[in-house]
Amino acid sequence: MRLLVLVVLSVALMVVDARFTLLKPVRSEMSLVLMRAYWVTDLPQRLYEGVASQFGSRTELLAENEKLKTEALLLQGRLQKLAALTEQNVRLRELLNSSALVNEKVEVAELIGMDPNPFTHRILINKGERDGVVLGQPVLDARGLMGQVVELMPYTSRVLLLTDTTHSIPVQVNRNGLRAIASGTGNPERLELRHVADTADIKEGDLLVSSGLGQRFPAGYPVATVKEVIHDSGQPFAIVRAVPTAALNRSRYLLLVFSDSRSPEQRATEAAQAQEAADRQGAVPEASAPTTPTTAPAAAAPASATPAHSTAPAATPAHTTPATPSRSAPATTRERQ
Amino acid sequence: MVGTRSRNGWVIWVTFIVGLLLCVSPMPQFMEVLRPLWLALLLAYWTLSVPHKVGMTTAWVLGLAQDVLFGTLLGQNALILSLITFLILSLAQRMRIFPMWQQSLVILVVFGLAQLVQLWLSALTGNRQPTLALLLPALMSALLWPWVSYLLRGLRKRLGIN
Repeated sequence: MRLLVLVVLSVALMVVDARFTLLKPVRSEMSLVLMRAYWVTDLPQRLYEGVASQFGSRTELLAENEKLKTEALLLQGRLQKLAALTEQNVRLRELLNSSALVNEKVEVAELIGMDPNPFTHRILINKGERDGVVLGQPVLDARGLMGQVVELMPYTSRVLLLTDTTHSIPVQVNRNGLRAIASGTGNPERLELRHVADTADIKEGDLLVSSGLGQRFPAGYPVATVKEVIHDSGQPFAIVRAVPTAALNRSRYLLLVFSDSRSPEQRATEAAQAQEAADRQGAVPEASAPTTPTTAPAAAAPASATPAHSTAPAATPAHTTPATPSRSAPATTRERQ
Repeated sequence: MVGTRSRNGWVIWVTFIVGLLLCVSPMPQFMEVLRPLWLALLLAYWTLSVPHKVGMTTAWVLGLAQDVLFGTLLGQNALILSLITFLILSLAQRMRIFPMWQQSLVILVVFGLAQLVQLWLSALTGNRQPTLALLLPALMSALLWPWVSYLLRGLRKRLGIN
């Protein structure tokens, strides 16, 4: 009899939990206490690391220092090139009049536990709702994308890894931009590309980067390298297997990417406005007086009009139309085109 | 008598907390599939020895805790654990007079059944587990049963929990 009550209760709970968000607060309250369990079971590892760092021998430290120095040097070198590339990228984007390059903010999180169920690939990290983590947020490690946040708790959150069988991510081949979808296989060292045509230009060693389609993951982060491409004439599609670049089952420190929460339309509008402001700053000083009277009265961007306002007094005496503070940039851009 | 009972009842809960910790403690990759059902083992022992203290409600509450820890749907493990406790309770009369190896066999069958229900539930919720490897934890638990039960019996005798 009691079993019946409990079973009915459990089933009711499961249905409610699956369909509604009613139980989320209860769950997060319970997790406040229960998540200590992961912290406690992680303690030996932490202690070991602490002791090891206390008693690490001098030679080891020297060797590590040396290694880090060379690594820093290498990275510095790459960074110099990166600076130039970023510069170039910004210039090219300006030429294309497209959205400004958004620098994503990242925050470091630490792994505190693995999911005990060996058939799912999920991990727990030590940043939660109170740290500003949101559902669906992408997680990286030093080498590539790892996965996304699927459950939020106050001070911890659960991350679904790329290799879980229920996970897929839109990718593209870095070499030629070929798009595909990489699905997890349940094997921590393998992703599979689904529905890739037999004739598609993809080969062993290709780097797959996130394509940014699906609007969940930011574009351009490395995801995997293609390990083998099997062409079987009996199959409709090629079988493409790839190895994730991130150390999915080894990394201890992860990066949470905070990309902005605005909708794509909003982002595009704001980027356009920023672009206009930039154009105006570049264009107005060199723009001759006769060009400005053609300005349309209504500008789309009142907010970004302030720089124009400051430059306006120089131009106003020259023409008849009253210079409104919101003068405009759509016109200037039009002219430039 | 009442005094001792209320004094040492907490030991049961301490073992349950240790059980919860064991459920999530990190293990090498290849041993993950073999992780025994610690909570179920502890519950089985305590329901057999002190049925007036530990029953299906306890199992259900612990199951909820496990659900939160594992991130499964609330109620899934609760259902499984109360089912296990129910089966153990209904077999309790016979199990108490069985020799140890027979008790292990019963544990194997009961836990195996529970794992199959677990498979069914997780298939319903979309996390289909590919193989029957999920019966391995039941086997592991059955193998561990004699040791767990000796250990807990020693604990119970020494602290006079009844």
